[in-house]
Amino acid sequence: MAVTERTAQSLADLVAVDPAEFRVDGSIYTDPDVFDVEMDRIFARSWVYVGHVSELPAPGDYKTVLIGLQPIIISRHEDGNIYALYNRCRHRGAVVCRQERGHSNFFRCRYHNWVYANNGNLIGMSQATGYPDDFDRSEYGLVRVPRLTNYRGLIFINLAEDGPTLDEHLAPVRKYIDYWFGRSPIEEIDLLVPPHRYEYPGNWKLQVENGYDGYHGNYVHLSWQRVLQLSKESTVEDVQRYRQEGCARGMANGHGLLERPGSLNPAASWTARMMDRYPEYAEAMRQRFSEDQLVEISARRNIFVFPNLYLFDTHIRVIVPKAADKSEVQLYVYALKGIPDKINEGRYRGHERFYGPAGFGAPDDIEVFTEVQTGVRAKGNQWNLLNRGQYRERMENGEWVGHTTDEAPQRSLYRHWRRVMEDNHDSIPGR
Amino acid sequence: MFADDGEYWLPIDPERDPTGAISIIRDDRKRLQERVYRLTKTPVLDQNPPSRTVHFVSNVEVEPAQSKGENLVRCHQLIAEMRPGGLGQAGLNAPRWIAARCEYRLRNIDGAWKIAQKKVVFLNSGEPHYNLSFIP
Repeated sequence: MAVTERTAQSLADLVAVDPAEFRVDGSIYTDPDVFDVEMDRIFARSWVYVGHVSELPAPGDYKTVLIGLQPIIISRHEDGNIYALYNRCRHRGAVVCRQERGHSNFFRCRYHNWVYANNGNLIGMSQATGYPDDFDRSEYGLVRVPRLTNYRGLIFINLAEDGPTLDEHLAPVRKYIDYWFGRSPIEEIDLLVPPHRYEYPGNWKLQVENGYDGYHGNYVHLSWQRVLQLSKESTVEDVQRYRQEGCARGMANGHGLLERPGSLNPAASWTARMMDRYPEYAEAMRQRFSEDQLVEISARRNIFVFPNLYLFDTHIRVIVPKAADKSEVQLYVYALKGIPDKINEGRYRGHERFYGPAGFGAPDDIEVFTEVQTGVRAKGNQWNLLNRGQYRERMENGEWVGHTTDEAPQRSLYRHWRRVMEDNHDSIPGR
Repeated sequence: MFADDGEYWLPIDPERDPTGAISIIRDDRKRLQERVYRLTKTPVLDQNPPSRTVHFVSNVEVEPAQSKGENLVRCHQLIAEMRPGGLGQAGLNAPRWIAARCEYRLRNIDGAWKIAQKKVVFLNSGEPHYNLSFIP
């Protein structure tokens, strides 16, 4: 069925918002038509994360990204601002930037040598006499993406001119993002490049569903728990018991998170342990934050910002859909600024141990994504259940709060997915 | 085969100092032991079914290293890898070929050559990778 034949109703039918048995149709992971509609209605009309300001510190710095399948340049101009430009020469359509990231004073199309500034302005044309005298160059710059906003250095772009502002979109999840920055006493981060990159033969939403899934750890990551036990860092029993504590939260606008409880007890949270081990860190944190704030900051969260961003304790995770059954995931480890170097180095080594294509944890997750990608091709019963904990979740301050192993965040994801796929982009006011 | 302070390094960007950057693998002796333990003694998913591999080694060069008592061995490797599985299983039955330039810093300890550092640089080190859990 071609994309144009899919009615809003048939797309909405793919998510059954049933009060006892929330479920999704397996074809949302495999159907290329659904993918095309997602690339248009979600990725070309939502606030999509494209990078952090620390990746582009100097004028002339750039990186290239994909929004859906569209190539986009993110570059910093000499006026200090960051621009998002469609990576397409206005002449005959070639890309003007072929590198993933770099530094350049301009972008030059190699076909006929048209030259563009880092803000997209057309500043040079070869043999310009081929164009009439009244050819207005200002009309033929690289097209700018209509909206670009940065929240605390996190850069988001929106290919649509209208719709909710970034503030409106982030409102339900903002305070958790703020707590996440709070592990730095100056609330700033610096990204390390290049990132880990992995690619798997499966749908992008499988990665989304997994990042705040608290149910799978004891099974998928048993090998990881055994490694910790071998190294006498923890026992399998202790890790499994710890996994029961905390909660899972589903929010408006498709956001969600998995949370472990915060604590100022060094035995119970990483932040507290670092404060205990590094008095200068403790002092800087106590000067900046109240005790209550420190408890919130020390809660370990995997935070999902719809549609493509995860904030983890070691890295920023960017999900890049490439096809219904192909996805790339980029893991940008970051330094917390204003803390002892040794703490950050420990975080980098800890990240390498679990994450990345040769980590002790992440490849096991990828394996189950491919298992789902194959399994949902069996039709029999077309539904995937997302009703875990549905009977016991509670609405608190605009959030659906569930047990740490419950699927509250995934339900919020698909409630929003369904609305957006029906072309409804109104934001729900958050708090 | 590794010296006590031996290191196994699989960088993303081989030009960057690994302390302040992220690598695909950066194992000291202890981490390497954990890696082997995980693969051989725990119920891993990413090696179940397990990879089958064939390594092709060529262009071997040996030269003295900067430290006394050490030699540097460079070579090229082509690693063919595949995980078997049922019909139509995503991610399985898909042979991969990974080309790499390798460097081994070998130290003579009591007459035996031990690896002080093994560095493996993939041709596509900076590109996305799928399941490298098999220790290339």
